[in-house]
Amino acid sequence: MGHLGFLLLLGDRALSWACYEFSPSETLQSAPRPERFAVSARRFSRVPAAMATLLRAALRPLRPPPGHREPAADVRLRGARRGTGLLYPEHIPTSPLQKVLLAAGSAGMALYNPYRHDMVAVLGETTGHRALKVLRDQMKRDPEGAQILQERPRILLSTLDLDKLRSLPEGSLGQEYLRFLDVNRVSPDTRAPTRFVDDEELAYVIQRYREVHDMLHTLLGMPTNMLGEIVVKWFEAVQTGLPMCLLGALFGPIRLRTQHLPLLVSELIPWAVQSGRRAPCVLNLYYEQRWEQPLRALREELGITEPPMPSGPWPRP
Amino acid sequence: MAAHRSCVLWSYCGRRWSWVMRCYELPGLRSAWAGGQLGARQLSQKKQATETHFGFETVSEEEKGGKVYHVFESVAKKYDVMNDMMSLGIHRIWKDLLLWKMRPFPGTQLLDVAGGTGLAWVLGDAEELPFDDDKFDVYTVAFGIRNVTHIDQALQEAHRVLKPGGRFLCLEFSQVNNPLISRLYDLYSFQVIPVLGEVIAGDWKSYQYLVESIRQFPPQEEFKEMIEDAGFEKVTYESLTSGIVAIHSGFKL
Repeated sequence: MGHLGFLLLLGDRALSWACYEFSPSETLQSAPRPERFAVSARRFSRVPAAMATLLRAALRPLRPPPGHREPAADVRLRGARRGTGLLYPEHIPTSPLQKVLLAAGSAGMALYNPYRHDMVAVLGETTGHRALKVLRDQMKRDPEGAQILQERPRILLSTLDLDKLRSLPEGSLGQEYLRFLDVNRVSPDTRAPTRFVDDEELAYVIQRYREVHDMLHTLLGMPTNMLGEIVVKWFEAVQTGLPMCLLGALFGPIRLRTQHLPLLVSELIPWAVQSGRRAPCVLNLYYEQRWEQPLRALREELGITEPPMPSGPWPRP
Repeated sequence: MAAHRSCVLWSYCGRRWSWVMRCYELPGLRSAWAGGQLGARQLSQKKQATETHFGFETVSEEEKGGKVYHVFESVAKKYDVMNDMMSLGIHRIWKDLLLWKMRPFPGTQLLDVAGGTGLAWVLGDAEELPFDDDKFDVYTVAFGIRNVTHIDQALQEAHRVLKPGGRFLCLEFSQVNNPLISRLYDLYSFQVIPVLGEVIAGDWKSYQYLVESIRQFPPQEEFKEMIEDAGFEKVTYESLTSGIVAIHSGFKL
């Protein structure tokens, strides 16, 4: 009976830890705790209505002046009103158990339905903690990367000067990026905001990674169909080490038509891996200051060679 | 069999959510509520702005209606799938039990509030029903009354529109009576359900609201007293699945 009791106690402690949610400032808890509430349940108040949050995000460019951290002040304001625990506006604190469940669920759903980009994002957030720390430290060591971390630029339609980009010379990064958006009919604003990362700076790093993803498509010359996405994932896996990229690179081909596999395996993946190894960390590039740079020159700087093109037109997904 | 057909209708209950009431008669009589026979109700003045709960958040009473509306607007598309996933299909058994308790027969005038889709429906507010007094034989509400801002008003309205001898039936989440199951239920509610909501429906927050609103709803005895306060008599309740849900029943005598 003694051993059983000990095991039960251990199990109970483990369960409590697994279900306990991260809270940076416990003492400031202001939300009342309902009586009927078990220990494993949430203690925080919830983020305000989705509409209000979206409106705020749309109206406020996340570019605080150097030295002044606007997002933190915003969190304090929300904290005072709604209870603390939110490190950034979209933050949803999650327990270790929830992260495991989310990771497993999002991985399965992303494989089942590759059009669920939000699931790929969630997978990245829930599994990327270690890799994001490494990336953040790498950015801090690089002067351009450190500037990005300091200034926190965002690639959104609201922050891009589209007219200026269109007026840039042919072959420049800005022009090619716009062309990529037009040809593939995508917009930088479709990126979901980070929610499940429990560190405000790392949340920005993953957000930056997501926004740079389109840049990588432009740099590598890959379209946004399944094949192109897998190639970019291989490049990103080598570059960032994010588990989500590794998983996507390894398991993505399952969803690919078998006729494309030979091209992928023999030409595209080796090229992507080599380019990823040669290039410095792509998150250290301040793209917003490089719009005028010719794409060819940027590719040379990074050591990215021309992509191996198939003999016919690009295969349909 | 009439009850079987109602069961079939129940299974489509939540397909499209809105603050909709379903008013239908079982086969036997033609619909008695066509057109202007309902009687218009005047909307009362706006209530005083006080605070209430929205899950574990505190909001003003004015805000709550809108926020709940947005939650259900958001979950409507995947409502049935999510119900099946979250309860592993058991919600169908609960609803079947409710119908069994009701034992409707041809000619029963039934009002189902917050019912989603149905045969003939009316858009309205549970706190101010657009029906005359003493109209219905049975008033049912399944998993809807929890989301109403003023539950007591909804109960009073239920009392008003029921005929003398009419029955009020409510199927709603309630308090679990077993401590071990309660712990497991809390674990499942708060750890798994929002994750399910995110993975299947892409909506964490609505399902977080769902499990929080369940905790904010009064337990069986307290809800029974609220029903009695609204004027109902012979109020009883039956807990199902260890108290995860309960069916409350009352009569207008």
